Amino acid sequence: MYPFSFTKVSDTRGALAAGRRGGRYIAGGTTLVDLMRETVERPETLVDISDLPLRDVTVTERGGLRIGALVRMAEAAAHPKVRTTYPVVSQALELSASAQLRNMATIGGNIMQRTRCTYFRDVTAACNKRDPGSGCAALKGFNRTHAILGTSDACVATHPSDAAVAFAALEARVHLLGPDGERSVTFADFLLKPGSTPNREQALRKGELITAVEIPALARPLKSGYLKVRDRQSYEFALTSAAVALHIRAGVIREAKVAAGGVGTVPWKLPAVERHLIGERPSQALWTQAAERAADGARPLEHNRFKTELLKRTVERQLRIVGGTA
Amino acid sequence: MSPQPQAAVGAPLSRVDGRLKVTGKARYAVDHEIAGAVHAVIVDSSIGRGRITGIDTRAALDHAGVLKVISHVNAPKLPYQRNPLPTAPPGERLHVFQDDKVHFHGQPVAVVVATTLEAAQHGASLVKVTYDAQQPSTDMADAPAGEPQKYARGDTDKALEVAAVRMEMTYDLARNNHNAMEPHATTARWDGDKLTVWDKTQWVFGTQIELAVVFGVAPESVRVISPFVGGGFGSGLRAWPHVTIAALAARETKRPVKLALSRKQLYFGTGFRPTYEYAVRLGSDRRGRLTAMTHDVRAETSSYETFLESVLIPGQMLYSMPHVSQEYRTVPLDVHTPLFMRGPGYTTASYAIESAMDELADKLGLDPIELRLRNEPEEDESSGLPFSTRRLRECYAVGAREFGWHRRNPGPRSTRDGDWLIGTGMAAGVYDTARNDAQASVRLDADGTALVQSAASDMGPGTYTSNTQLAADALGLPMGKVTFRLGDSLMPPAPPHGGSWTMASVGSAVQDGCDKLRKQAVKLAVEDAKSPLHGVNPDTVVVRAGRLHVKHNPARGETYQQLLARNNRTHLEAMGSFTRPTGPERHSLFAYGAVFTEVAVDARLGLVRVRRMLGVYDAGRIISPKLADSQALGGMVGGIGQALLEHTVTDHRDGRIVNANLADYLVPVNADVPDLRAIYLDGDDRDADPIGVKGLGEIVQVGVAPAIANAVFHATGRRIRELPITTEALL
Repeated sequence: MYPFSFTKVSDTRGALAAGRRGGRYIAGGTTLVDLMRETVERPETLVDISDLPLRDVTVTERGGLRIGALVRMAEAAAHPKVRTTYPVVSQALELSASAQLRNMATIGGNIMQRTRCTYFRDVTAACNKRDPGSGCAALKGFNRTHAILGTSDACVATHPSDAAVAFAALEARVHLLGPDGERSVTFADFLLKPGSTPNREQALRKGELITAVEIPALARPLKSGYLKVRDRQSYEFALTSAAVALHIRAGVIREAKVAAGGVGTVPWKLPAVERHLIGERPSQALWTQAAERAADGARPLEHNRFKTELLKRTVERQLRIVGGTA
Repeated sequence: MSPQPQAAVGAPLSRVDGRLKVTGKARYAVDHEIAGAVHAVIVDSSIGRGRITGIDTRAALDHAGVLKVISHVNAPKLPYQRNPLPTAPPGERLHVFQDDKVHFHGQPVAVVVATTLEAAQHGASLVKVTYDAQQPSTDMADAPAGEPQKYARGDTDKALEVAAVRMEMTYDLARNNHNAMEPHATTARWDGDKLTVWDKTQWVFGTQIELAVVFGVAPESVRVISPFVGGGFGSGLRAWPHVTIAALAARETKRPVKLALSRKQLYFGTGFRPTYEYAVRLGSDRRGRLTAMTHDVRAETSSYETFLESVLIPGQMLYSMPHVSQEYRTVPLDVHTPLFMRGPGYTTASYAIESAMDELADKLGLDPIELRLRNEPEEDESSGLPFSTRRLRECYAVGAREFGWHRRNPGPRSTRDGDWLIGTGMAAGVYDTARNDAQASVRLDADGTALVQSAASDMGPGTYTSNTQLAADALGLPMGKVTFRLGDSLMPPAPPHGGSWTMASVGSAVQDGCDKLRKQAVKLAVEDAKSPLHGVNPDTVVVRAGRLHVKHNPARGETYQQLLARNNRTHLEAMGSFTRPTGPERHSLFAYGAVFTEVAVDARLGLVRVRRMLGVYDAGRIISPKLADSQALGGMVGGIGQALLEHTVTDHRDGRIVNANLADYLVPVNADVPDLRAIYLDGDDRDADPIGVKGLGEIVQVGVAPAIANAVFHATGRRIRELPITTEALL
């Protein structure tokens, strides 16, 4: 671990001031400290923001849900409002990490999580994300867990968060506070595909702080859920996952929100699948046909070819679990 | 047979060291508080083969707290005398910091010593090493093998030619790492030319001898202390390079040094269960009677040592057949040397043989148990020896009954539960019952407490507890009055803590020592005119709860305290020993088991989930049932990992281990091991050893992986001949 200085701030003004001077924000620290130990991350200054007043879950005026950036994963998952209105979020959180990590890690930190690509985490390996221009060892290396969607020749690493897949499906917005004031961006705009600059992962400006994730109000009744496919039953990142939310009225799907995880360089929204569902009646045939579009544009690698088919089956399964076949 | 009543042995007692462990008071290798200790961190090679061309230590040495950087550039030449132990593999071990050669990715190339762990870690990251890298050879599939070890009986070629049923299969097993909870770690301190080492080891004498010959000092000059081992599974059966590095760093800095490998370093700094390719050809008659089997086995080893294990034995004796032919080749690669891992050799062989048996049963439409019963040998056909005990038939019968085996629909892909295909599978297991020479000292103090010592190890199976149980009964004392100590090379010698022989060997020595001491006390009493036992036939005296009395007249007797006090004795002492019988064995000695499991396979997603597992074991006498269960369940968990999850992945481009951490190298979590149950046939095998045990630690993992693979076949109709069985193989 490289030496660093550590300051703790008690309000957002102090945080922004420290952030502007180049400090790295730390809350739960479950990713950042790991990566510092591996010397992947070498921040000179850590700014502890745990005491900032960003720990509320509130219902917005329009009926959406705003989850403060410092709400712990476990708290968010167990929150009655989250559980009843967006089960997909609760489930995604509860299928993440371990109980210990969920008690430490925050929502803001969760969506900032860095990839689990083992070459990224090994400072002796080539990695454009860690060391721009050094190459990508995963492209022709062991890439079973890597992405098949949104990849580039520079990077094939997945975004590891489950919660972010649920947020992406629900078209959540990320609220930011920076030296120039507040703004909010959609999930699709917040997390960046690697392109030729995989070292840039979020559309964050210098010193900007995530204050909340806001899930918009969605038409009711809304059924939703998260399916995570992995080798062991707990404490593992997804091989594939699917977040599905459906608004079905009078037997017809009126709204469909679908995204996939474990397969994309960012949480992968599936608009083609959504379009296929809208206006249709739930049936096994519909789920199968819609899921056929889940891997559109996939670019599999040597060891993750199976993900193309597994992704379709994962989406098909979760559409059926959420939408039923009645 | 001891005349003593059995009170502690056979009782489901908790670990005597459990409280120390859960309260954090048990001291592991780098937990010991050693005055003035500094910290060492190893710098690993980032190439897989080649030469070091330069080591720039300036930045590291400039970092506050860094005391020294040692590499081949400045390390003293070490004697590195030949290791005389029979356990040392053929070849020549890695010599640390003696030249510029790199033999594998992750090889130690330097060590940084600093006043704090943090400074040493950071210092290690500041050492800049340059290399002349060559392409390493790490893929067994492409590499040439060495000369084979061979075994043959009969004429397999001819027998296969005429066999009514012939089958040919190849099974592949991934490399596995031990991944015990405690990382390998060593604390080393020199006092003049005397070296004291606190080591994570399964054999204090192994560490002692290796350090003595590496540094060219007398073994008596090296003391090794290892009271607690945080898991081992075999990885502590050898003193790895870091042990030498810790001692070297301590000598060069003239400070006690603590060195713990990181989790990542365990994947290349210690051994592993090697990658295997196991090809089987078998022939049988139409009723399933085997006539011949060939076994062609390839396993990886390092370029500098030949690692061999007992992978051929099961194929020679598990089933009856006249014709057997085996060839076992190692493939030297640019990797570190493998080492024994739980059920070494046998788990590998049993996966291939027991999968092949299941394939034959399916081909013939026979029940897998019936097929095995038809091939049950009457004697050990590899040696012609009678079995001491071989109760596999009972294992099958009890297992089938308790598991509900015969309720299964025998057809593959015949049972469904929603999205899940349900299958059941079984496999036999075998592991040899070995014993080795051991000694134990016993001391009974005038206060009525006893201390029993042997330089054994307890990596988790419960050596402390089971030997305390044995000693308590043999001495006639309550558990709380007996202390068993282990893990110090100053104690009476014990064999390596592996191969499931600790109970048989150390336990027999403890039994012997305690019997001797008790008889000494009885003799003292019956010859003491002032004793109520004076003149009594010593054979009729028993000791219970610390009181000696006539067996059939409990009123007549006295306590150890009374006896010793009256005789002005501060204590009594005895030395117990167990000596492995010399000359050829008169019996074929093995522990056996049968594993039954039910799995669910998601028909569309390819996920395999174990629903339940039952193991039935013919393992002789069970000294400590609660810890036996702990062993058995642990073995099943290990087997589940081997079958479904564990795979050390090497990037063949540069020899790097890609998944050298516990997030990417998957071991089962609680959710993966739902309903596990063990049954032990009531046994007592005195042909094996004086206390009747056959060893349990290994047999409990043997057969688990093939039982799961067979259940996956039964669930899906698909035979996966590669471990681990992954989602992608089943899609």
